[in-house]
This record gives sequence, structure tokens and C-alpha cells, in this order.
Amino acid sequence: MHQISKLGYYFVIVLIILSINFFLPRVMPGDALSYLTDPGADIPLRMTEEKREILLAYYGLDKPLSEQYINYMVGIIRGDLGWSIYYSAPVLEVILGRLKWTLLLVGTSTAIYITLGILLGAASAWARGRKKDVCLLVSILSISSFPSFFLGILMVIFFGIKLDIFPIGGAQTAFATYSSPLEEIFDILHHLILPAATLVISHIGGTYLLMRNSMLGVLGDDYIMTARAKGLSERYILHRHALANALLPIVTMTAMTVGFLVTGTIFVETVFAYPGIGNLLYNSVSYHDYPLLQGIFLFITIAIVGANLIADMIYVRLDPRVEDV
Amino acid sequence: MIKGTKILGSIGLGILTFFVIVAVFAPYIAPYDPHRMYVPMEHPSSSHLLGTNDIGNDILSEIVYGTRVSLFIAFIVSAISMVVGTSLGLIAGYFDKVGFLIMRVVDVVLTIPRLPLIIVIASFMRPSTWNLIALFLIFGWLMTARIIRSEVLTLRRRYYIDATKMIGGSDFYILWRHILPNVIPLVVVQFIMEAIHVILAESGLCFLGLGDPVARSWGMVFHYAFECPIIYVSDVWVWWMLPPGLCIVFTVLGLTFVGYALEETFNPKLKNPFGRMRL
Repeated sequence: MHQISKLGYYFVIVLIILSINFFLPRVMPGDALSYLTDPGADIPLRMTEEKREILLAYYGLDKPLSEQYINYMVGIIRGDLGWSIYYSAPVLEVILGRLKWTLLLVGTSTAIYITLGILLGAASAWARGRKKDVCLLVSILSISSFPSFFLGILMVIFFGIKLDIFPIGGAQTAFATYSSPLEEIFDILHHLILPAATLVISHIGGTYLLMRNSMLGVLGDDYIMTARAKGLSERYILHRHALANALLPIVTMTAMTVGFLVTGTIFVETVFAYPGIGNLLYNSVSYHDYPLLQGIFLFITIAIVGANLIADMIYVRLDPRVEDV
Repeated sequence: MIKGTKILGSIGLGILTFFVIVAVFAPYIAPYDPHRMYVPMEHPSSSHLLGTNDIGNDILSEIVYGTRVSLFIAFIVSAISMVVGTSLGLIAGYFDKVGFLIMRVVDVVLTIPRLPLIIVIASFMRPSTWNLIALFLIFGWLMTARIIRSEVLTLRRRYYIDATKMIGGSDFYILWRHILPNVIPLVVVQFIMEAIHVILAESGLCFLGLGDPVARSWGMVFHYAFECPIIYVSDVWVWWMLPPGLCIVFTVLGLTFVGYALEETFNPKLKNPFGRMRL
């Protein structure tokens, strides 16, 4: 029962996101064509009243709002996200073309920052109040204060330009011909390191602090004292008793932090000119390519909401106590 | 640890005081009018300590005035979010039926990723400081309302609340005199978390070119530096890009330290909410 109501809840959220996407361009001042004909537009077009009506009819914008809404929803279900003005191609096609790079970047950095965050957080809590804990805490809090785009630019300047050991942008060397697949993989990894490192560093704070707090909570629990009283070794208590239980809240938070990370790729990909979806979003904002922008928004939000749903499902399995929350 | 917490808190407070002073006395501190144009792309000299930008504005003056814009946005948004979030949280925690409704709204809006949505709406609107403030406000109160509500849920079961009811205290009196004072520490920490979030989000939006081109915040100064094609091939970034970037970093750091110190002091159970911060 619980699972079904959860599904219903997420369905409502997706519906709301779709509706925002539908109404946003329609509630803005002017009509759909005014950004072309407005004298303030980049290249204002002159249009006769007749031509205007033909265009509006062509895009179905003369129909009543309810009919437009239904058409829009049917289109979404069919996978029709509209037509990108700048790339002159279907929005979905443009997004899917960029998807693999974002998946590579997000996948690698997620795996690294979660593992690292858990390990550092546990180590910090275990050494609570001692020098090691304080140093880790202060340095990670400081690092988290950097906006990801600023951190990325500093990386580009130091490692890409001053030291010249990493490429400053792109996902592959342009116009490269590879003698072997291994060389291609190496080239891709070489381009991946800086953006992935930026994402890891700027997102590790959340997982670290959460793990540290969760671990501190667990360490205060009675069963840890029982384990100590039984004479178990500290190492055994850490691995077998404390870690597993402290990990529980990390599971739900992971979905949320992955959401932040996906948002972070918008900035990092822009700085590194990495050809993923984040960079595409930046381009669509600067080219005023609204259909593409809205398509990407839909794609990103539904991916993040989906991740939340999965985390919710997993959490109920892991900790049956949350069923009645 | 207690001593360490105190030191962190003091450092944070020191940093914040510095920036607040710069913001308040900007006209006396800035050497020039930030909109006046001099020779463009000048290197740092005694007349322009941080040089001039591509259209000839004095960069130091731009940053000093930018402090005003950045801090103003963060303060206004956090303050209004605090008042709205706390009021709704109190109501939602104290009255069950209304509370259920408010919390459903909070749950739904919190699940929608906020920065992508703000980016999309912002790119449809004319870029202006007030538009950004309005957008941040839509999401700003949610977390505060949720946290305050769950605290009120436990507070209202205390015996002294029953006692007050028995001697005829009204609901408003109980909320105002007995419950609100108990949630103030949480409210203050939430205020700081929201300020951190807004500073980072605002600079991010500016970086993407969605900020106010007239009232330039630190993020906007940074944006124009990033857009300038020669920024990487020369040392221009040292005086044009680094200073506004570091201003953002130090403000966030100051807020983080103060927030962390407050949380450690107020909340001995160590459920530090700082795990949630980030864009």
C-alpha cells in the first residue's frame, strides 16, 4: 500500500513539473511570437498580422488552452519535446546525443564522492574532538564554500594552463585519430579528471557531514557500549556495528545529493566546455533556445525525481521501521 | 572541541562583520563610482588598485558595491523566508488539519529540484535583482517550515503547554510566548543556511548570465570576467576574477562557521543540519 501511495505522490510531482513547463511560456507577457517580433529582440522580425495568424495556427497556438494542454501531454508521452531552434533538430535527439558524456561525468564523480565522503566522515567521527577530526572538518567546510564554477576555473588555470598537465576543455582531443581503442580511452579519461575532480571536491561536504553526524549518533547508542563491554576490538566494532547502521541515512540522502550533483554539472560542464547536458543548458540559455531549455529542464528534473523515488523504495527495504512515517 | 567551536564561530563572525561594514559604507570605501568609465583593461596601479575591466569600470569599486547587492539579496531572501517559514511551521505544527495541507505543499515543492527550475523561470523573465529575489523566495521558506513544524510537534506535548491551556491561555498566546522562544535557535540556524544557499545560487545564476546587469553583484563581476576571451591567456584573472570569487568564498565560509558554532552550542544532540547545504 505504502509503495503505491508513494508512486502516486511522485506521479503528482511529475504532473506539476510538466504543467509548469507548459504554462511558463504562456503566462509570460506577450505571446509565443513576441520574442521574435519584439523590437528589443536580438534580430527583430517584421511580420504582418496575417502571417502572424498563419504561424500561430501552424503551431496550434490559436486553439483553446485546454486543447493545447492535452496536445502537449500527448506529445510528451510520445517523446516529442519540441524542436530546438539553435540546433535545428528535435530536442530529444539533441539531449540524447549529449547524454553519454553527462552520464560518464556524473557516474564517475558520484562513485568517488560518496565513497570518499563515507570514509572521511566515519574516520572523522571515530576520532571525534581530536586533531584529525578538527582538521578534516575545517578543511572540508572550507572547500565546500567554493562555488563549483569558481573551483573549476581555478583548476583550469592551475592544472590546465600553469602546469599544463591536463586539457582545459572538451571531452576528447578535437579531430584526433586514435591508433588503438586504449589510446582513445586514455584520452577520454585524461579529459575527465579535472571536471570530475571539481564535482567531487565541491560536493563531498554534504556526504561527509551527514556520515560524520550519523556515525556520532550511532556511537552514542547503547549497543556500541554493549559491544565494548563484551571486549570486542575497536576495529571490529567500527566495521561490524557502527558503519552499517550509520550508513542508513546516507542512502536516502544520496538521491538528494545526486540531484545537487546533476545541478552542479551545469556549472562544471560550462567551465570545462564538456559536451554534456549541463553545457547544453548553458548554451540554450545564452542562445534563447527556449524549447531546448525546457526540454533539458524536463529531462533533468524527471531524472532527479526518479532518483528520489528509487531511494525511497530502497530505504523501506533497508529499514522497515520507516514504513509508518 | 568547545573551545574549537568558539574559535570557528569568532572567525566566522569577524569575516561577516567585515563584509557588512564594506556593504554599509560602500560609498565611502569605494575609490570611484562603479559605473564611471576609465581606460579599459588597465593593469593594477596606484590609481586603480585592481585595474579596470573591459568597459573601463574600476574593478575594486565594482566589487565594493557588489558586496551591497550580494549581501542585500541574501539578507532579504533569508529574512522573509525566516518569517514566513517560521509562521507556517508554527501553524502547521500546532493545528493538525491546516498542518497536513501545508506539509503536502512543502513536500511536493521540495521534491522539485530548485536550481534548474529557477534557471528556467529566470531565463523567461527580464533579468533583475527583484525577480531573482522573488524566485528565491518561492523556495526559501520550505525547509524552515518543515523543521520548525517537527520541533513544534514535540514541544506542544510538554506539560507546561497543557498547564497554560488549563489556566485559559489562548492558542496564539501559547505559540507566541511558549513555543516560539523554544524554536528560535533552530530559526537562526535555518536563516544562516538559507543565506549560504542564496549567496551560492545567486552567484551561480549570475555566472550563467541570468543576473542583473545594472546592479552588479559579485557573481556578475565574475560573469563578465569569465565572458572576456583573454581571461585565460594573461594574468587578468588575478585581479578581475579572483577577488569577486574569493569574496563569495569568504562570505559563505563566515556563514558556515557561525552556523556550525551555533548549532554545536544549541543542539547537544549533534543533529547538525549542515549536511544539507549545497546548490
